[in-house]
Amino acid sequence: MVNPVLLIVVPLGLAFAIPLFGFISKRIEKYIPLTAMLFNLIVSLLLIPKALQQPIVVSIGGFPPPFCINLVAGPVGILFSAIIALVGLLVSVYALDYIKQGATGEYHILYLLLLVGATGVVLTGDIFNLFVFFEILCISSYALVAHSGDKAGIESAVKYLIQGAIGSSLILIAIALLYGLFGTLNMADIARNIDSVSSISVFVPLVLFITGLGVEAAIFPLNAWLPDAHSSAPSSISAILSGIAIEVGIYAVARVIFTIFGAQSILLFLLLLGILTLLIGEMCAFSQRNIKRLLAYSSIGQIGLILFALGIATHSGVVGGLFQIISHALSKALLFLAVGYMIYRTGSLEISTLEGMGRKMPLTSLAFTIGAFSLVGLPPFVGFPSKFLIVRAALIAQEPLFVVLIALVLLGTIIEGAYFLRIVQVLYFKGEKSNSKIEDAPIVALIPIFILMLLILIIGIYPKLLTGVLNSAAGEFLNRVGYIKSVLG
Amino acid sequence: MRRIISILLLGIVALGIILTLVKIPFGVSKTKVGKYYIDKGVEETGVTNIVTSVVVNYRGFDTLGEVTVLFIAALGLGAVLSTRKKKVKRKVEPASLILYTGCRFLFPLILLFGVYIFIHGHLTPGGGFQGGAIVASAFLLIYLGSRERRIGERGTKAIESLGGLIFVVVGLAGLVISGYFLRNFLPKGIPNLLFSGGIIPIIYIAIGFKVGSELAGIIDNLGGAVSRLS
Repeated sequence: MVNPVLLIVVPLGLAFAIPLFGFISKRIEKYIPLTAMLFNLIVSLLLIPKALQQPIVVSIGGFPPPFCINLVAGPVGILFSAIIALVGLLVSVYALDYIKQGATGEYHILYLLLLVGATGVVLTGDIFNLFVFFEILCISSYALVAHSGDKAGIESAVKYLIQGAIGSSLILIAIALLYGLFGTLNMADIARNIDSVSSISVFVPLVLFITGLGVEAAIFPLNAWLPDAHSSAPSSISAILSGIAIEVGIYAVARVIFTIFGAQSILLFLLLLGILTLLIGEMCAFSQRNIKRLLAYSSIGQIGLILFALGIATHSGVVGGLFQIISHALSKALLFLAVGYMIYRTGSLEISTLEGMGRKMPLTSLAFTIGAFSLVGLPPFVGFPSKFLIVRAALIAQEPLFVVLIALVLLGTIIEGAYFLRIVQVLYFKGEKSNSKIEDAPIVALIPIFILMLLILIIGIYPKLLTGVLNSAAGEFLNRVGYIKSVLG
Repeated sequence: MRRIISILLLGIVALGIILTLVKIPFGVSKTKVGKYYIDKGVEETGVTNIVTSVVVNYRGFDTLGEVTVLFIAALGLGAVLSTRKKKVKRKVEPASLILYTGCRFLFPLILLFGVYIFIHGHLTPGGGFQGGAIVASAFLLIYLGSRERRIGERGTKAIESLGGLIFVVVGLAGLVISGYFLRNFLPKGIPNLLFSGGIIPIIYIAIGFKVGSELAGIIDNLGGAVSRLS
């Protein structure tokens, strides 16, 4: 049997080895992240059938939990690690050509370590271990945001660093409080004992967790760093930050609330925060002239939607939220990758310079259009079934409040549609008819773009492909007792 | 107004934390995981320094992550500074004879002490991180004493990578041999001897080298940055 720990340590070992490969030849370096993510994708897919039957619990060091660190590769963990590996693989193919200048060796190491951190967060079953991997994820993203080395990059990286560091300290305080209360760091063990202490003393760690993790998950009002960081990073990194990093943040929030604390009472608050995040993100996106900032604000809006869906906390709500995570990861990665080469060719981030791109770079523009339509939720793309599931979940929850809120969600979607259609209009119907062809993106970049387009279409037309995994994943989040049992026996 | 609101908010946070802290018993051996480590640590890991047995064996996976965090920090710093590199040749004023001689005299001793700390990490207080930091301080002294000297960047990079790789490979060897990642698969030996504790000293020596070269690299990077700015 393949061991889930390989999903973390093999890429980690390869990342350590990149400088050594660099001594042999500088050209090998960029293929290492690609190899590692291919390995991860294959292993994740192999593990899915087994994880669906029963979460795979692996103890590290061979001691019984809770005395060691253990990994829990249940449906949620494996689903996330597969998405991380898939998007990571496609973006690393894209980066083969895209990343040419600056510290390329460092870029590839940091990029791979970012993905290692993300995989570690979703697989671990230990709260302090989660923090360690969270730090790996965050610190490598700070460095990657500053990768371009220009003033804007460094400024936004420092902003991100300060906010992220404060968030991390809050998480650490929360972990210390929990350890003081329960004498253990194992998530299942804490979850088992959480009801044995008074609710006020668990409330403080819960709030600290949500605040600390909320910074990375870009929940309003903790997301001031995101538009700057996502827009001044290299586009391949923006794709990963938007497609993977904030989703992992949301995963951590959901894991803490659902599994560790089982906090039903705070869900309504989160749901309202989600609506607020959604509306503010979409409205800010609407007023942007800078294409990457627009996409970054749109990510905030999507995170709000995901949070809203998870906050419904019924089976269908969580399924919708997880589906939306997948749909956002694919669509937003596609959008950033497509925009990356448009910016590269025109040398400007202004939306107005994209006029007539539909004729100049037809393939890239097509990719952008599909990504945008999918994000808005038009059929037959993947955004449609995911948004549909969320709306349905809110309506069948039999709660009058949800009906009002879902109207607000749809309002957000209309705003989203307005600004994305405006860009599509700029791409195809604006600008004078000139035959000045700009070279389309190179083939190495078009391959991942095409694969993403295909996936968006295939899952959009046939969403049943994912229902099995999503159903068991939602089950894992909502069934605390099952989680505790599978870890501690 | 802003100040009053901030103070109020801070007060609320502090009150919440105090309310939780009150519930936590201090000085009582209530923590079950901690008690287990104290009772069973020496027997299960063969290491007399219990802190080490927790850091490298029970929670070795965290340590692997922390080593990675340090690696990323050093690397990110190097990457950010390297993009702003301007080759400015600054005239370096040589250090005085006393400083120079003193550094040359102390350098091997500090190095030896650092190595002692991480080789004996499983027996006495200290370990890879502490020993590595001491080793790096020896290099800092060299930078102060003989200012034109620079450490080889390739060398530190190679040691960093090898240190990390050894950690991962030792862990994987445990997975292959006994089915658990980072399992202590070597004979544990007699506690209190230098050759005891199985894989623990190996990992700590790798960490010592890695941390030492990483911190020395950070000093090198920052030293370069300072001379570039001035």
